[in-house]
Amino acid sequence: MSWQYLVEWCYSSPLVSLLRDWKYGAPAVQSVHLSGLTVLLSTVVILNFRLLGIGMRGLSLPVLASQLWRWAAGAMLLTICSGVVIFVLDPTRYLASGPFRLKMALLSLAIVYHFTVFRRVTRSEPGGRWRNIGVAFFSLTLWFGVGWAARAIAFF
Amino acid sequence: MSLLGVCHWLQSTSWAVAIRESDLAFPFIEGTHILALSLSVGLVVVFDLRVLRLAFRDEPVSRIMKLLAPWSLAGFAIMLLTGGLLFMTQAEKAYGNTFFRAKFLLLLLAGINALVYQVKFYPNMTAWDTAPVAPAGARIIAVLSLLFWIGVIACGRTMAYEL
Repeated sequence: MSWQYLVEWCYSSPLVSLLRDWKYGAPAVQSVHLSGLTVLLSTVVILNFRLLGIGMRGLSLPVLASQLWRWAAGAMLLTICSGVVIFVLDPTRYLASGPFRLKMALLSLAIVYHFTVFRRVTRSEPGGRWRNIGVAFFSLTLWFGVGWAARAIAFF
Repeated sequence: MSLLGVCHWLQSTSWAVAIRESDLAFPFIEGTHILALSLSVGLVVVFDLRVLRLAFRDEPVSRIMKLLAPWSLAGFAIMLLTGGLLFMTQAEKAYGNTFFRAKFLLLLLAGINALVYQVKFYPNMTAWDTAPVAPAGARIIAVLSLLFWIGVIACGRTMAYEL
């Protein structure tokens, strides 16, 4: 089964058609997407501020990371699932959008980085200052880059 | 001057006109408004999760509040500033929009909800800080807070479709 077939099938499936025809379908799914990203980015911000030593210093990085990880993973799942629905509501628009391609590229990098480097660093005791700054820089740049690319889809 | 009159005046100020006419100012302000959710609302959500014992169970509630409150306040300052500017650019349309009004009402409710927490539960927080379960009232406030903020996000997103 090809990707194109799968997208076409989703596009014309009853549930997606129902959402597309409902006036508030797209805003509703977008609201779920935004709620998920709010929580996901919040965990990213907390861990990176702690990593940089500019905030959240009342708790150690491993404690913060272990407590926030499942919420970050849950929020990521929610954001990705709602994102897939937003995509199949109007695939041709997104496939033709440059910022959308950039967003997907950054998102892939951000996810891989998050579950490899970022996960390992935040679960261990603090390392050198410059290493921490470097790790936080990439994490913040990738995740907020995804956000800005997403906004650009609407405008450019 | 009526409220609508104020809206009309706001959107004809030079600032509002400049933002509306700039290619980059509006997307930049709107993007900042959305991404600052991670500081403002997101950190409130983390605090609510602690009160509901869904995260940071072993940490005193007061420690989590101390950790998050300054950044959350900074986040809300950014929201107020960027939200105010966005409103200025299309004040009249926003004023008449049902979802804008609903968002405003939910913001008010979220504010009152937080105020009740500050008055009723904040002063004696140390008494139940490390208790296995937070007082029922505090837990109700946490649940209401989550609902109000989800509502604010949904109304904010939906109003953008209609302006």
